[in-house]
Parts: sequence; structure tokens; C-alpha cells
Amino acid sequence: MTAFPAALLPLPVAVPLVVCAAMLATAHVLPGRLPDILATLAALTVAVLCGVIATHAADGPLVYWFGGWEPRDGVHLGIGFSVDEASGWVAAFIGLLYALTFVFAWGFFDRTHGHFHILMLLFLAAMVGFCFTRDMFNLFVWFEVMSVAAFALTAYHLAESSLAGAINFTVVNSLAGFLMLGGIGLIYAQTGTLDFEGIAAAVARGGRDPVVAGAFCLVAAALMIKGAIVPFQFWLADAHAVAPSPVSVIFSGSMVSLGLFGLAKVSAVAFGGSDQVQHALPGLLIGLGSFTALLGGWMALLQRHLKRLLAFSTISHAGIMLTGLGALSVDGTGGMLVYVVGHGLVKGALFMIAGILLATQASIDEIALRGLGRGIWPAGIAMALAGLLLCGLPLGVLDQGTRLVQGALWQQGYGVALAAGAIGAALTGAAVLRAAGRIFLGLGSDPGDEAGAPSADEREKANRPLWLMLAPCCLLLALDIGLPAALIEHALPRAASAFMHRPTVHALAEGPGWLPWASVAAALAGAGFGLFRRHLPAFVVRPVSATQSAPTRVLEMLHSGLIGDYAAWLAVGVAAIAAVLAIA
Amino acid sequence: MSAVTSVLPYGVAAWLFGIGLYGIATSRNFIHLVGCLGVCQSATYVLLLGLGYRWGSIAPIFYDHPPGTPAVDPVMQALVLTDIVVGATLTALLLVLTIQAYKRGGSLDPEKLRPMRAGGKSGRDAGSGRVRDA
Repeated sequence: MTAFPAALLPLPVAVPLVVCAAMLATAHVLPGRLPDILATLAALTVAVLCGVIATHAADGPLVYWFGGWEPRDGVHLGIGFSVDEASGWVAAFIGLLYALTFVFAWGFFDRTHGHFHILMLLFLAAMVGFCFTRDMFNLFVWFEVMSVAAFALTAYHLAESSLAGAINFTVVNSLAGFLMLGGIGLIYAQTGTLDFEGIAAAVARGGRDPVVAGAFCLVAAALMIKGAIVPFQFWLADAHAVAPSPVSVIFSGSMVSLGLFGLAKVSAVAFGGSDQVQHALPGLLIGLGSFTALLGGWMALLQRHLKRLLAFSTISHAGIMLTGLGALSVDGTGGMLVYVVGHGLVKGALFMIAGILLATQASIDEIALRGLGRGIWPAGIAMALAGLLLCGLPLGVLDQGTRLVQGALWQQGYGVALAAGAIGAALTGAAVLRAAGRIFLGLGSDPGDEAGAPSADEREKANRPLWLMLAPCCLLLALDIGLPAALIEHALPRAASAFMHRPTVHALAEGPGWLPWASVAAALAGAGFGLFRRHLPAFVVRPVSATQSAPTRVLEMLHSGLIGDYAAWLAVGVAAIAAVLAIA
Repeated sequence: MSAVTSVLPYGVAAWLFGIGLYGIATSRNFIHLVGCLGVCQSATYVLLLGLGYRWGSIAPIFYDHPPGTPAVDPVMQALVLTDIVVGATLTALLLVLTIQAYKRGGSLDPEKLRPMRAGGKSGRDAGSGRVRDA
């Protein structure tokens, strides 16, 4: 393999930025579909470039120093990009997800002078930069660019609920930005550098240090807010449910998991040498992750607003990713990286189906849509398949990631986290399958307990043919199922070791083979219960309803939509992380 | 430099963040809330400037000083500058959202403007209405 010119590393960030600037300058004269075409091509270019970079990074990370400010005598002054194989592939996946989202949104945003595309390309550039950077402050800058684009995109419809959702999202994520900046200031004051490697070296030299622990606490809290980990998860359901569908695809498919990706990088590389942080991490990540997986799954089951249902499902899966990270092993982190891609593919497809329902049936409410999906049955098949994949059908990329995460947890004896992950996946799968059964088969009758969950009237433009919307959705599912497992098995041990800066391991452990099937069975049972509770004998239904209603009311009350409550929970969460770090 | 003055900036930063967060948690007006967010952000300014400060040093501008004169940390000042830019963007965006929300909802009270509960119509009402229609 020839050496890849490292000077080309900033290209995947520069391309969308340049296209974005050119479109902004010419927006009012660009004819009809040109913004769609340009944006799709730009995203595809990013995907291909990142793929090329990733294949070249297989031999070792590629490094680029902006302005030629290379480190001298161990002093890191410049800002660098450093791309290992795993980061490169994650960025390539993000580029592809954007390209398919642009196809899905073809003509959706007529007469907006391409402003949607401009914001989305800015969003894409920020995500790729976030994957590539090796500098703490640069990480923060991409984090903020990502946030600002996301805030504006959430409020795109300028409807009452989307504005409220966007304000909640903005306030919580701005607080995350402030925490992160504070943490970065602390770590810089202690180590005198912002470079990941420089920080790692200084932290390893320093020994136990409350300032380093404090810095990690703030940075980790910020990234967990982005990753929607309990108790920072409140903003997500508000924002994802009200954003335009193509934006939700990106939010759930890549933005949330990127928060955890950042956490993986920061904790494995920059803070890898701090014993205090490394001691605290397993308990912290596995505890919060398990709790998040269960709570997200449970909340998903209670929703009748389809996009809100999917949003809570994303929270649950973010929890599962966090438990994989908490294993602190190459297996766990490798599994999590595969999980990020698999989850993005499946969840992206599901949000596209929600968008299809919004566009063709002018509703997103599961109960109101009952039986209305019969006319668009191909979408129903896709939704059922996606639901099965989500709860763990042993097929495709998501399943491979699940088994690796489970393998890591199994090996280290985290039985509770293993169970929580399986149950969380089963609950979200059950919710999606129940919704699919109700919408596309007309099953189920009385809304029952679900009627308590919030919903809202919404509609999106129905100016696109069904096949155009369905094609990217099916392609995402096909990619999840079709990517050869051998390819990932071959490359992952090396890529994950390089990502974590650990010596290469040769094979990764996998979890027990029966566990995914157990999740699928539980999901089918849960969906069946939701749809046919009328026909079930009372001695089955009554205990479930009785145990369900009180905690359900409490949970719905907690997700109040009030920004004040969310800020209070944020303070509680940061205090909890600080306490765990202090004890370690 | 006494122990009190070296700890003071961090105490002030923590106090500012805490009081700002308290303001956000209890706010009943979006404009007040945006102000409180600004207070939280001021905490990061104070923290960063406090961390970068060197006693008896000049600002990191060497125009009329010989190179090598002790100066405060310029990296921290660059971070604060970036933070100010971010803060301006966020405040502007939030105020725009607030104006739009006021135009549509007629209120600046977060209690009256909740996502998914638009127009005072709870999910239960919407649901039962639809069931009745069917």
C-alpha cells in the first residue's frame, strides 16, 4: 500500500465546508434540485475520502499538523488531526448516512434556498472533525459547531412544539459546552498542553491528582449529555420528536453515539494514564449505562408518538453502548464501535419510516395511525425487520456489535449489565414491533395505558414518491444485514487496539449465542402483549397493569418538558460523577 | 499571593455556575433564562482567566516589551475569546427561538410552552378525541 499523503487529512472536513460556503453565497440563484444534488455529492465524497483514509490508516494512525506546527522536544503547541482505522470508518459511515439522508430529504425542503443543506453540511463537517481531532480544544470547537447546527435544525419547522424542544436542547447542550470548556481549562492548567498524547503523557507522570479527576468529571459529563445518558437524557426525547424527520435520522443515527465515541477516545487516550479515572470508570459507565438501557426501553414502550418512541429507544441503545465502553477492554470498545455503526444504520432507517408515515399518512401517532399503513406495506416490512434487528435478531452489523459488547461484559462478569442491555434492547424492539403491528396490520384495539403518553399533531410535506423515500431506508437496512461479518472480524481487533492505543489483540470474545434470541423472544412477547391484551386472561393482564401504572406516571412526570427540571437533574448527574471519581 | 486570593477565582467560578444553574432551574421567563445561561458561561470565563493568570506578568503582547518578559498564558486567553464567540452565537440563537416561541405561543413562561404539549392539549385529550372520532 502506498503511503497516503497526510496533507489530505483535513479534506473530508474542508469539502463540506467549502460546498456549504459556496451554497450560502449562491443560495438565491441556485435552481430547484441543485442544492440536493450538491449536498448528496459532497456527503458521498466525504464518505469515500474517509473510507480511503481509513484503509490507509490500517498500518498506523495518520497524523496531520495544521500549519506544520509539529511537536518539538515533547512540547505540543500545534493542533493536529490523527486518524486511526476505527475513527476513519466511523467518519465514513457518517458521510454515507448523510448522503442517504439527503436522498431521503430530496425536495423536502423546497423554497428554503438550500438553508437546510447548508446547516446539514456544517453539521457533517463538525462530526468528521470531531472524529479526526487529537486536540482537546479542537474537540470542543467541533462539539459546539455540531451543537449550533443541531439547535437550528431542530427548530426548522418553527412550530410551537419544535421551538420548545429546540430551546430545551439548546440550554442543556450549552451547559454541556460550558462544563466541557471548564474541564479543558483545568486539564490544560495541569498538563500545559491540549494535545491528547501530550495530556496522556503528563497525566501518567502526575499520579493521583484531584484537578485531573475534576477535569475528567466535567468533560465526561459534557459528552454524556451529548450521548443522552441518564440523568442527562431529558433533552433528547424533546428534540428528536420535534425535529424534521431527516434531521432526526442524523441525530439518532450519529450525533448521540458520537458523544459516546468522544468519551471513548478521551477516556482511553487522554486520561488513559490516570489510575483514579480508570478505577472509577467501570462502575460509573456500567452503572449509568445499565440504568439508561432499562429506563430508555421502558419509556419507549410507553410512547404513542412514534418519533418520541424511537427517541427513547435511542436512549436505551446509548446505555448499551456505554456498558460496552465500561468494560474498558479492547473487546468492549471494539464492540461499541461496531454497535455505533449498526445502530446508526437501523435507527436511521426507522426514523425514515417515521418520516414516510408523516408524509404519506399525515400523522405520527401510533393509535391514530392504526391500520392506516396497509397501503404502504413495503414500509411495514422494513419497519418490522428494523424492529427485529433492533432487539437483537442475530443478523448483520448491529448484532455483531451486540455480541462483542456482550462478550466483553460476560468475560469480566458484569452479569447485571449484560441482562440490562438484553432487556433494554428487548423493550425497544417490543415497542417498535407493537407500533408496526398496529400501524401496518391494524392489530390491537384500546390504547389503554399508552394514551397517557404525550403526542402532538404534525405533518410533513407529501411531495415525494414513496419509492424515493423508501430506497435510502432499505439501503440502510441492507447495509446493516449485508456487510460481510468476516470483514469486520478481520479488521476490528487491530482497529480497536489502535483506537485505544493498546497492544494488538488477535481475536475478540463474543457473548453467549442464545442471548440475542432471548431478546428477540422477549420483544415479540412484549409486542404481542401490547397488541392483544384484550384477548389475554385477566390473571396475566392485571398484575402487569398494576405494577406498571404507578412507576409509569412517575416517569412521565419526570419527563416534564420543563427546562428547569432538566437543569436540576443535570446538577445531580454532575455531582454523582464527581462523587464516584472522588471515592475511586 | 495569599492562599485566599489563589483560591478566590475558582470559588467565584463555582458560585457563578451554581447560581446560574439555580436561575435556570427556577426561571419562569425565557429571557431571564437566557440571562442565567450567560451567568453560567461567565463562570467559565472566570475559571479560564484564573487558571491562566500569572502574578506580576504582563498581557501576552510583546510589542514594547523584550521577549522573555513573564506574561499570562495566551492559550487561556484564546480559549476565552473562542468561548465569547460561542456565547454570542448561542445567546443570539436562543433569543431568536424565544421570539419565535412568543409569536406562536403568546407566552414567555417555560411552564406554558412545553414540547409535545402544545396548545395546552395533553396527550390524553388528543388521544380520546381521536378514539371518539373513529
